[in-house]
Amino acid sequence: MVEPLQLQAAAWALTTTLELALFVQLVRRKLGRIYPCFFGYLLAVILQSIAVAVLYRSTNFDKLAVWKIAWATQGLVVFMRSLVVLELIRNILSRYIGIWGLAQRLFLSVAAAVIAYDLALSKGEWQWLIMNGMRGLELAMAAVIVAMMVFARYYRVPVNQFERALAIGLCLYSSFYVINYSLLERIFLLHDVLWNFLEILTFIASLLVWISAVGRYRESEEVAIPPAISAALYGKVSSEVNSRLLLLNRQLIQLLHLKDRGQ
Amino acid sequence: MSLPLILLVLFAILLVGLLAWALRPPTPAIEPPLDVFEALSQSRHCSRISQILQTLQPEDTEYLREAGQAALMQTLRKQRRQIALNYLDRLQEEFETLLEISRVLALLSPEVVGIEEIERWKLSLAFAANCAFLRWKLRLGLQTFSGFTLLSSMATNIARQLDAATTRIAETAARGSEPSVPGPGNLGRL
Repeated sequence: MVEPLQLQAAAWALTTTLELALFVQLVRRKLGRIYPCFFGYLLAVILQSIAVAVLYRSTNFDKLAVWKIAWATQGLVVFMRSLVVLELIRNILSRYIGIWGLAQRLFLSVAAAVIAYDLALSKGEWQWLIMNGMRGLELAMAAVIVAMMVFARYYRVPVNQFERALAIGLCLYSSFYVINYSLLERIFLLHDVLWNFLEILTFIASLLVWISAVGRYRESEEVAIPPAISAALYGKVSSEVNSRLLLLNRQLIQLLHLKDRGQ
Repeated sequence: MSLPLILLVLFAILLVGLLAWALRPPTPAIEPPLDVFEALSQSRHCSRISQILQTLQPEDTEYLREAGQAALMQTLRKQRRQIALNYLDRLQEEFETLLEISRVLALLSPEVVGIEEIERWKLSLAFAANCAFLRWKLRLGLQTFSGFTLLSSMATNIARQLDAATTRIAETAARGSEPSVPGPGNLGRL
């Protein structure tokens, strides 16, 4: 029978192996240039895994100090992940000036509302403020990613396979982090090994999604920055659309008047 | 576990569901920019609304009952309701085409007015809900006039918004500015 701690250690080792595999893939495909924040995030995650493993194995450090350092590195990783979310959104939507402005305002409102709601749950207790703040940030990231995907779907903005995979991995991890933290931490307070194990499993799933997407990535998937069309063509297109719409509008108004007369 | 915390967990679960929904393959869209004109030039189903409303008036078939043809009257009303249902499908298609055009315009436009876009989202949700409601009313043989009028006014609102958007685009073009907007090549994916 495998002990829970052994299982957790095995999962930890597997995570680090997958992180390294993804890192190598990213370097080979030269994706670090297109997604520098994602590249930086992965680097931070690898360094965190190494640092935490070294610290926990060392007997020279106080347990509480190790725990605090581990959480501080986690804060850095969460910050890096939020940069990845911003990078992803910018890469997908910033080509479209009009809707990009709208998207920025919308996503900022979503993120602020989610974080505010989550922080309100700590009821001013500072010891919960940091932990809840972390959860709020994770939930805000998930909410913004989903809002971005719904937004992109509504406006039919092209999203390549790698970007989709990035969104899936980030959103799944953040959502499950929130569920794990809220349910397991509160209900099964004693089962912290299980909580850690589930968190690692979720991250492994995200890593597998990303590795698969990087493996299938093709240069042609990149959406070229659209060239500007001439003012003359733009004007012609606009006036034509305008006249058609005016005609349609007039028809509808006539119909409405007909109906009114009918009543 | 408190209610706010339960809501938080439910929200996280909802996000996963929404993500799955957003990742579904998109429905076929208007293809190149010229299709926008083609879509606009298609005959408008809403121009038949007065006939549809007329056929749904109970008085229009009431004379059959008076002539002792109650069964025939019921058959006729049933057939007319079926026609109205088909008409409703076309009206919905037309509305979706208008929305599609407005999306293309939003992508073309160097500036999008948030309030108008949100208004359009709300309209599209309301239209979908009203269509479903009206469909059930027709199937159950209930009075439907107010519903049809409501849908017509929604289509008018959409057309007005599109009108305002295209005017703004035309003004931008007239000023001679060349905004960095998607070109024809990119529109092919819309």
